[in-house]
Amino acid sequence: MKEQVIVMGGGVIGLSCAFELRKRGHEVTVMETSRCGGQASGAAAGMLAPYSENVEGPDAFFQLGLESLQLYPEWQAAVKLASGHSFEYTNSGSLYAVFHDADLLAFEGRQLWQCRHGASSRIVEGGELQRLEPNLASNVRAALYTPEESHLYAPHYVKALEQGCRLMGVEIIEQLEQLAVTEWQSEIRVRAADGRIFSGDRLVVCSGAWAKELEETFGIRIPVYPIRGQICAYEADALPVRHMVFSSQGYLVAKENGTLVCGASEDVAGFDTSVTDKGIERLRKWNRRLFPELEHRDPFHRWAGLRPSTQDGFPLLGPLSSSDRVIMAAGHYRNGILLSPATARFVADCLDEKQTVECKKAFSPERFGYL
Amino acid sequence: MRDLFRIGNQELSSRFFIGTGLFPNPHVQKEAIKASGAQVLTFAIRRINLESARDDSILQHVQDEAYTYLPNTSGARTADEAVRIARLARASGLSDWIKVEISANERTLLPDPIETLKATEILVKEGFTVLPYITDDPIMCKRLEEAGAAAVMPGAAPIGTGLGILNPYHLGLIVEEASVPIIVDAGLGTVSDAAQAMELGVSAVLMNTPVAKAKDPVWMAGAMRLAIEAGRLAYLSGRMEKKKYASASSGYEAFKLN
Repeated sequence: MKEQVIVMGGGVIGLSCAFELRKRGHEVTVMETSRCGGQASGAAAGMLAPYSENVEGPDAFFQLGLESLQLYPEWQAAVKLASGHSFEYTNSGSLYAVFHDADLLAFEGRQLWQCRHGASSRIVEGGELQRLEPNLASNVRAALYTPEESHLYAPHYVKALEQGCRLMGVEIIEQLEQLAVTEWQSEIRVRAADGRIFSGDRLVVCSGAWAKELEETFGIRIPVYPIRGQICAYEADALPVRHMVFSSQGYLVAKENGTLVCGASEDVAGFDTSVTDKGIERLRKWNRRLFPELEHRDPFHRWAGLRPSTQDGFPLLGPLSSSDRVIMAAGHYRNGILLSPATARFVADCLDEKQTVECKKAFSPERFGYL
Repeated sequence: MRDLFRIGNQELSSRFFIGTGLFPNPHVQKEAIKASGAQVLTFAIRRINLESARDDSILQHVQDEAYTYLPNTSGARTADEAVRIARLARASGLSDWIKVEISANERTLLPDPIETLKATEILVKEGFTVLPYITDDPIMCKRLEEAGAAAVMPGAAPIGTGLGILNPYHLGLIVEEASVPIIVDAGLGTVSDAAQAMELGVSAVLMNTPVAKAKDPVWMAGAMRLAIEAGRLAYLSGRMEKKKYASASSGYEAFKLN
């Protein structure tokens, strides 16, 4: 049955859900308080790296990330086709770089579980590491090489999603300032700051770091906190970096447009999105440990966004038990870009009642209890 | 009640040592550490930005409180490796406390007792305050004490398993024999495990995963703190004797009509 769906939030998760729902024939309206892709989505470096981002082991979050990584080839092609926009999507593989002998024991454990979950990871060192990533510092002891990981250029991806949605007939309304859900059980009604009322059959909540505002409305605890991510970019035409390079302190990734993007801080700073010297200086100092040639370079661009982190690190995904008109999809923290296709598919499946929610129990939006 | 204990030249009132790893984000990490009341924080040296600890991705968030750092040598497979990274940690100005953690098996991460003893001997000579992580073997724990360990840290179960105290009998013996603080390190899962450890008479417990991987790490940190305090008080109070049959809590005398 085709339904009238309201998507709250025009970040990468909201736009992806809208894209998938529209593709399945639903009537979709995206409501955005400021502008699409303005927060975590715009600040993202676009790493599609579930193996490197989950250093501890294959939990439910990793599984969702892996599902998403595997959806990406087809998903990104569909977004490009629908939007007529291109964006970088590079299957570069990743290197997780370490500096001590003592890191190798943990690498063996990680390699083991990664390979059991579809990767062909291996530990590289010495001459082989030098050949794979020639400009990497020579005191890097070893790296875990995971060829299956990719990255994309997030600002262009989000733009393409937005454009694709528009061309397919999704209505996108920006600058709504403040949204209030006034009815969510017998139907959906959302009121904007200017008094306009939007109504529909179903509501998908993709408001990221702002999802907590809906606690009172739905009567559930929504422990989502904003964590600021500061990020910077160097002009790096003369410094080829071939892989995504991760480390315990941050990551670097070279983009097609000749920039080297480096992130990211995790600051506890409320909803403050300013870029600080301390935050960027920290990244700079660490970067030259990985790539000594960065010693004398200054980042030409610095920016920040708020990432929605939950209390247990997992997103809130799925319908509310008190009304399946409402489906939550928020709290993706550092992995919104990666998780966008799997989230979109899951949300659309919930809406179409295609899938039982059991398999995503770890993400139940009510797991933190009721007010 | 002032119930302090001493490690090296430091007096401590909190009997909860907490690990800084595995938290979902720095906000939760900070709040959980605060709720734990811990005075001693542990972390893996290999993950730290040793050139500038203030900039480290984890330590930068705990700068504003006066914690004692207990860096650990996790990942080291030999005494040599452990000694090398311990020296790096001290040289960086982090701390001269060191938790020796040497594992030879990536699946169990159980400590290698021979290498642990060697590293402890070397680091004690070099003036470190050494807290070795070791299996719950009473003789081995005694040997580490004799080698100059400031405290000995037997594991309850393998790291991160949450299995609880697998051998309470051994742990009891270790406490009986010890003349340095015994700190249960690794393998605890929940509050009853922490209380049980304290009831056995250990001086403190060290935990990370049971707090960081709780659905609400901040609440769990507070719960653990209470459990540790309760277990400690119970130990000091002395439990009643176990009896086979029921007995009225008031004696017959109380019921006599006169």
